[in-house]
Amino acid sequence: MKILKLTSNFLLVIFLLSLFSIGYSNENKLNDYFKTIRCLVCEGQSINESDTEFAINLKEQIKIKTNSGMSIKEINQELVEIYGEQISFNPSKNHFLLWLMPLILVLVILMFIRNKLNFFYKK
Amino acid sequence: MKKSLFIPFIGLFILATCAFYYFNQAPSQKLETKQVPPVLFEAKDFYKNELIDTQNLGDFYIINFFASWCKPCLAEHPLLMELQSKGIKIIGVNFRDDEDNFIDWIEENGNPFEYIIRDDGSIAYEMGLIGVPETYFINNKIIQKKIQGPLFYEDIETYL
Repeated sequence: MKILKLTSNFLLVIFLLSLFSIGYSNENKLNDYFKTIRCLVCEGQSINESDTEFAINLKEQIKIKTNSGMSIKEINQELVEIYGEQISFNPSKNHFLLWLMPLILVLVILMFIRNKLNFFYKK
Repeated sequence: MKKSLFIPFIGLFILATCAFYYFNQAPSQKLETKQVPPVLFEAKDFYKNELIDTQNLGDFYIINFFASWCKPCLAEHPLLMELQSKGIKIIGVNFRDDEDNFIDWIEENGNPFEYIIRDDGSIAYEMGLIGVPETYFINNKIIQKKIQGPLFYEDIETYL
């Protein structure tokens, strides 16, 4: 009987600890996510640091959405749809033109300099 | 120097600038296709306790986000009163406000709104609100224009 009682208490403690750790990790996950979302009122800050009404509301709405079962990926997609890429500190990589543009510009400038040098050497 | 190099260089620069502005633009700012989120029409009017009658609003109407704690909202309020007297229908969305302060504020400054919705932040989220005051011009259910900050006569005169 005593063993049964001890076992049930042990299981209860394990269960409570696991619940606590799940809640703690979810909270941490959410805080990490808040650090990637730009506050559009004070653009240098993330909503995690900002205490503007915009940031407070966004954090609340994101919490409500995660509690209702939406994943962070889905929330992120929705946020980008509403506010645009500027809302995230980690923009998507699908804007290949933007990512390639510096390289293309450097190539064009190099071509330009080479042609200019050729022009002077020919002279 | 080859003149022909200038043209692609300038062309590329223009293309880069356009691409930057296009991709950097929030979809909510590409307003020509953005509709008013349904969540606004699911909320009840604070005073009448009824849903917004879209037939009553007509083709053109305004959605204005305001709060009693927002000073610039007070600055644009006389203009909203004037617009109401000219027959323009305005939906007021009271954003994250204390109920008593909100009631006092309306009593003190007047009510230019056809409907007033109290918002805990969910409507603001769906609309892409950045801060109060913020005003949306709606024409045929499409958001035509979004004004961040207080509304001025110049913003609305083309619609009058």
